[in-house]
Amino acid sequence: MSDETTAPASIPEELSQQFTNEGGFLATKLDTVINWGRSNSLWPFPFGTACCAIEFMGTVSSVFDLSRFGAELVRFSPRQADLLLVAGTITYKQAPILKQIYDQMCEPKWVVAIGACASSGGFYDCYCTVPGIDHIIPVDVYVAGCPPRPEAILESLVQIQNKIGDEKVSTTHVEASS
Amino acid sequence: MSDAPETTDVEDKRADQDALESRFQATPDIHDSWDASFIVTADVLRDALIALRDEFAYNVLIDITTIDYLSHAQHDGERFAVSYNLKSLSSGDRIRLKVWVSEEEAEIVSVHDVWKNANWLEREAWDQYGVSFIGHPNQKRLLNHIDFKGHPLRKDFPVRKRQELSVNDAMLDELEARLQGKGYAVLEQGSPAGVKA
Repeated sequence: MSDETTAPASIPEELSQQFTNEGGFLATKLDTVINWGRSNSLWPFPFGTACCAIEFMGTVSSVFDLSRFGAELVRFSPRQADLLLVAGTITYKQAPILKQIYDQMCEPKWVVAIGACASSGGFYDCYCTVPGIDHIIPVDVYVAGCPPRPEAILESLVQIQNKIGDEKVSTTHVEASS
Repeated sequence: MSDAPETTDVEDKRADQDALESRFQATPDIHDSWDASFIVTADVLRDALIALRDEFAYNVLIDITTIDYLSHAQHDGERFAVSYNLKSLSSGDRIRLKVWVSEEEAEIVSVHDVWKNANWLEREAWDQYGVSFIGHPNQKRLLNHIDFKGHPLRKDFPVRKRQELSVNDAMLDELEARLQGKGYAVLEQGSPAGVKA
């Protein structure tokens, strides 16, 4: 690239290679631009049911600061969110509610199972606890820990961002089930 | 502090226990290491509880729960016991009444009108153990899902049994009843999607 390349540091490499001040335009792939926007402006919906939700609060607050990754706009309406963070134990009684929340979210959407309970049921091996939310909804990233450290939750967000970077706009994220 | 109340407390405690033994033929529960635990029969249970509440100031019903003695090593009697735990706020005393309930009948008289909170405690006991409370106004599941089959805290409930439940159990009926009691009009009963009519 020429010396005139002055891309901001936050622009991904494949974008910055084509970024130039000459002419005031840039040429790139549609997938790259859209995925760049999506991955850096995730709107999380916190489905917090237990202690993992407390860790999520720590992740959002100033010390760990989820907003550094562009996902600080926590929404409490599934219609406005595209990242479902399931933090805590899901009982069978709550499972239909989680399913309904997931169904109400618009495509594209991603799901993170935060902590042992959401991922596998944790140490609750009993009549009332769902042994992992992937019995109900598809999960993109699992976070280990009981509860996980905020760094682990941040890591899951980065993994979601990487996953979004691999997606193509022309394909749908999830197939509709009957 | 003065030393007078201590003797009074002991006398009070004896008075309620004497009343239970003389008037309601209660017997001390010898298997309970705690001395304020008595076994009464089902037909006097309600009167005994009312007497404890009104005459001996046991004004708090702490809990109603059920014990399943199935496969219990030191037990040969009725399968279930329903346990009533009471506390007196004035004296600080606690007392426990226990009633045997057979597996075939599996029912006991409701005391929802003696203590208001017995309503939900009895619902929970029925939900988890399947012991029915006669005269309960709204005996439906409290903790488990409305479509749940069986009573999970019974000893013979399969440990590995899982049930997929698809209906959204919103428990709106009581909320709506309370709203109506406060003068609000409920426009559509159980309105959120997925709630069973």
